[in-house]
Amino acid sequence: MPEMQETVREWLDTGKVDLFLGYKQVEGHPLPYAFNRDNLEELQDLTVSEARYPLEKLGAGILAVQPELKIGILGRDCNRRALNVLAVHQQITPGQMEILEVKCCPSPLRKHADCSSLEPRTYGSVKLEVGIDNSMPTARMEQFDQQTRFDKWLYEFQKCLKCYGCRDICPVCFCKECSLEHADLVETGGVPPEVPLFHLIRAVHMAGRCIDCGLCEDACPVDIPLRLLYRKVNEIVKDLFGYETGLSLEQPPLSILGEGASGVTDSHRAAV
Amino acid sequence: MYKLVPSVCSYCGTGCGVLFEVLDGRILGTLPLKTHPVNEGKLCIKGWNLHEYVNSFMRLQAPRVRINGRLHQVTWDRAFQFTADRLKSVIAAHGPDSVGVLASAKITNEENYLLQKFARAAVGTNNVDHCARL
Repeated sequence: MPEMQETVREWLDTGKVDLFLGYKQVEGHPLPYAFNRDNLEELQDLTVSEARYPLEKLGAGILAVQPELKIGILGRDCNRRALNVLAVHQQITPGQMEILEVKCCPSPLRKHADCSSLEPRTYGSVKLEVGIDNSMPTARMEQFDQQTRFDKWLYEFQKCLKCYGCRDICPVCFCKECSLEHADLVETGGVPPEVPLFHLIRAVHMAGRCIDCGLCEDACPVDIPLRLLYRKVNEIVKDLFGYETGLSLEQPPLSILGEGASGVTDSHRAAV
Repeated sequence: MYKLVPSVCSYCGTGCGVLFEVLDGRILGTLPLKTHPVNEGKLCIKGWNLHEYVNSFMRLQAPRVRINGRLHQVTWDRAFQFTADRLKSVIAAHGPDSVGVLASAKITNEENYLLQKFARAAVGTNNVDHCARL
């Protein structure tokens, strides 16, 4: 893909970005790789990878230490949504990160697919019978009666190892103090976590924030259908408030702090 | 200078692939290696937090030897000499079976091989066990 490499070279040459996060084959693995003006000759190795890493999260981590940098990332639709969410929550300034778009993986927002890791997988008979087929659409899940649904979710949640992988890989999880580690909210220092409280706390926090990238489900060692859960949560946000996460720089309906937070109008401010 | 360095988790013997985020020589975070055949992009809570012990202020970065009841930081040469001298004197006084060797899941296969070789060939004992039974 020489075109892609030329674009990145141009971005670096013109100073549009100081650092570009793409992928390169290292020791047989496609790994995220930082290209800059000092290693331009390595740009020929820049590739697209089917193994996806949260490049925007890595970028935001660098910006937290060196805010003067401008960072380019190789990205898809989900990365663009993630940047919007990060900007809405003041983790980055719009314009600090640029995306070079490549083909996208399947989601309700965009159909054409490139990402093999998100192809529907086949599961064992026990999971299909007692638990949940991760590739099931939310509408199919709702056809089960409430008790069956609850039992199925409990089966999935009780497998949790409490590795916090879903949170740690999540491009839009950035809180310094995480509710999942807060002793007043969840029981700390024990395994398994409190079911279903642990997962529902995270699900609530994903409302108006989850960008449906699927990295959490990818990282889950026990195949909990997290993407399905957060999709449902975001569907509720969309139905009730008409808010589509990551598509704009508009504040989410559930934010209660900061400029433009829900329900805060100029007249409120004048009153204060 | 930012780079991502592939490595293997040092916590247990499973050997999960990890990826360290390194900025200016300091590890910022740990990610699972997505294409690694052992863990396929998944990690346990210990693996996810590998960078914390690397950066911990409690981490021992040089050998220490107890002299007159107090720990003193010494060079590696000094520490090796001290260990060798003490092992020799214990073996001379009480025989090779007074020494035991504990191998570790956190070191490589080859290092574990060397450790049992050291116990059997150099010390002369079969007292070899591993950290899972500590």
